[in-house]
Amino acid sequence: MASEQLWSQVAEKWQTSFNRLNRNEPGITGLLTFSEAWVLARDFLRPRDIDEPSPKSTVNRQQLRAAFDNLAQRRMLTALLEEFLEDMRWQLPHITKDIEGLMKQYEATSDPIFIAGCISRLVLWHKAWAPFPELGPTVVNAFTNTFQTHVFSVLPRSFSHGFKSLVSATLNPEYATEPPVWITTLFPQSGPPPDRWDKPLWQAFEQLGMTERYESLIASVCYEHVEAHMIETYSKVWDRECLSEARDWMSQHILPWLLMPYAPNAKTVEEAAPFISGIGTRLDYHVCKTLADLRTREIFDIIVDFPDSRPALDDLKKCILRVDHRSTLVKTLRKENAHRLLHPGADTKMILQQYVSIIKCLRIIDPQGVLLFKVADPIRRYLRERPDTIRCVVASLVADHESGDSLVDENDTVQPLQQAQVDDYSDLNWEPEPQDAGPDFRTNKPSDIISTLVSIYDSQDLFIKELQVLLAQRLLAIKDGNFDRERRNIEVLKIRFGEAQLQVCEVMLRDMTDSRRTDQHIQSQKNNDTTQLHPTIISRHFWPSLQTNTFTMPGQFKTIQDAYQKEFKTFKPDKKLVWMSHLGTISLDIELDDRTVSADVPPLEAAIIELFSQKDIWTIDELIETIGSIERPAAVKALGTWIELGVIKEEDANTFRLLQVADAAASSKTTQRPQAMAVEDEVPIVTAQQQQAEQMKVFWKFIEGMLRNLGSLPVDRIQQMLKFAPGYDRSVEQLGQFMEAAKREGLVSVKDGMWKLS
Amino acid sequence: MKVKVKNWHAIAQWRWDTGTSSDTHDADDEGDVCGICRVPYEGCCPSCKMPGDDCPLIWGECTHIFHMHCLLKWIGTAASKQQCPMDRRPWVTAERKINN
Repeated sequence: MASEQLWSQVAEKWQTSFNRLNRNEPGITGLLTFSEAWVLARDFLRPRDIDEPSPKSTVNRQQLRAAFDNLAQRRMLTALLEEFLEDMRWQLPHITKDIEGLMKQYEATSDPIFIAGCISRLVLWHKAWAPFPELGPTVVNAFTNTFQTHVFSVLPRSFSHGFKSLVSATLNPEYATEPPVWITTLFPQSGPPPDRWDKPLWQAFEQLGMTERYESLIASVCYEHVEAHMIETYSKVWDRECLSEARDWMSQHILPWLLMPYAPNAKTVEEAAPFISGIGTRLDYHVCKTLADLRTREIFDIIVDFPDSRPALDDLKKCILRVDHRSTLVKTLRKENAHRLLHPGADTKMILQQYVSIIKCLRIIDPQGVLLFKVADPIRRYLRERPDTIRCVVASLVADHESGDSLVDENDTVQPLQQAQVDDYSDLNWEPEPQDAGPDFRTNKPSDIISTLVSIYDSQDLFIKELQVLLAQRLLAIKDGNFDRERRNIEVLKIRFGEAQLQVCEVMLRDMTDSRRTDQHIQSQKNNDTTQLHPTIISRHFWPSLQTNTFTMPGQFKTIQDAYQKEFKTFKPDKKLVWMSHLGTISLDIELDDRTVSADVPPLEAAIIELFSQKDIWTIDELIETIGSIERPAAVKALGTWIELGVIKEEDANTFRLLQVADAAASSKTTQRPQAMAVEDEVPIVTAQQQQAEQMKVFWKFIEGMLRNLGSLPVDRIQQMLKFAPGYDRSVEQLGQFMEAAKREGLVSVKDGMWKLS
Repeated sequence: MKVKVKNWHAIAQWRWDTGTSSDTHDADDEGDVCGICRVPYEGCCPSCKMPGDDCPLIWGECTHIFHMHCLLKWIGTAASKQQCPMDRRPWVTAERKINN
């Protein structure tokens, strides 16, 4: 029953198929023609080894067409296609062999020419096997799919590398003028030569579907090329804006190239625009990123070069807007600073200079100051620990603009120091802080450099103190009585620090003018025998502590001083003078038997030579005893000056004799340098730091007493008690440091945080 | 040998000649202070900015010395009863003898 039904079903199907193939032709003639057509078509399509002669040319096209029509009528094309693909699978090992051979050669030589060869072979295979386009897109697509699937499956791993180098060869500028020889041999072109030499190659890629498959590879070649070009061209080029230049270069050199892989069929640039806009944007981003990376790497040197490197900074600013690079920049600059700037080998002045440049540069890149805030923090912390930072800042405050010491532009308008500002809620131009601003970021309204430098320290007092010291040094060193410059400096600083802070300096300057007036008055007196002496009379308490190993000048110096003192008393009856004999300079003529030596010397030297006019031979101990309250090294140094000048000679150890007649050996020296070198020591003014140490000595007495009476104490307790001492303003940390120092000197010992006398 | 001084740029401090600690050369010595404002004589009284001739001293018969401005201010108050703030004797300004 069932089988009968089956039978009839099969018979019915068979009849339908037969009718389809036979096309109602009489007998089986239809079937026969179909069979003929099938063989013909299949034989025509069958893929062959391309090294064997192709039979295609011998086939009669008319006949072939009829055969295909026949097959199409019988709806057998699908079957034919399957057959064809099956045949192709059988033939594929030919291609595999071909590819393997060429790739082996490539692997051995790494020459992309073999890749080009490989591709050219593949194109030949492809062309030879490709079925008629008239067969319809289905057939062509199926063929292409199978072909590509196979080819890509057998291409070895090294192919992608070779492909990359082949693609990059197309970017080789040398080939642009003189295309490589292989291009014409491997990819022969009919018709006029293409507008780009590499066009046939791209067409081959397109044909084999490689453009699509290796798109990322092609893009990476392009990226690498752009990167290499930019690094080569723009490294250390800071004096012109490179970004626009790079963009021009892109549109001139890279864009035409991009047309090949991305818009192969476009005739004009306008037509190609939609195809390449995507990759174009990505490339532009890449250009910005490359430049930003490059400039970030160079940022430290760019800053060193500022302001010559201004264009580079403008570039960087634009790039950073495009690519989010701020954190990298901060990180790099911080690292560079730590590595190259904030180390003991760097001069404080240099650090400050670089800091100022960093401020200026980062303000160009990021006017809101977030970058600066982040970068500056370690520098400021480091500077705070440097002992001479204040002095450097102050020195630059009062420096000559001509000497180049100054950190500030002369053009900067002088303005009062700015304190941290609170937000102005009524500011209509208010802008939120950038999103990478830290929680402790304060919007610094563009303040001037000096305010920024001064704000390194919490208090301005330190600066004022140091300024006072510096001013004292300069004023006392002035010989010609011209201190207009100092006055101008003080006026400028008054604007910055405020009048009240600089009151002390004002007194110092007035002392200078008063001294001159007093001196003029005294010199104009009759029977005046003090014409040589021109003292600067200072108000104590208003000048920084001057070192006080004051001694009495001997001989004629004392006479001159006393005479001056007397004149002064007449002029100002209720005042008197206390000579600071160790300060100042004296111009002397030493008249010896055979020569006269002139010298500008400090008073101690003068005192010593004066003593030699009393007797010819002195020992150093006698000299010290006679002059009194001078230190031995100072005396030795003073004697050294005269030995240098050939005036005295060390006979035995520590015994010196005046050379009334020049020593043969020494005189040659003196004739070489008849004019004595001006001894220009720094005026020995106690620096703020020394003052602190000096003060600490006083407190040490308290500490010593405390520890003696109370046994051992923790630092906190000592600090508490010291707070009762007048003028004590140290922090616990400072006290801790001091105690450590005392421990090093073996004065105290510490156990479990308890200090006691050792 | 003869040492000839051509030019001498010296540094000196001025002091009020109070007649007392005249011989101290110790510059570290803070010096005597005005009994009213507790500022050294060579400093200036709280209402002055410039020391020296702008803020002179005043000597009393009682040998006490003050900044002139400080004393005048004190004398100007009713509570002073024209007395020296140190010893409560009537204030009499001493004539400065210019001899030494």
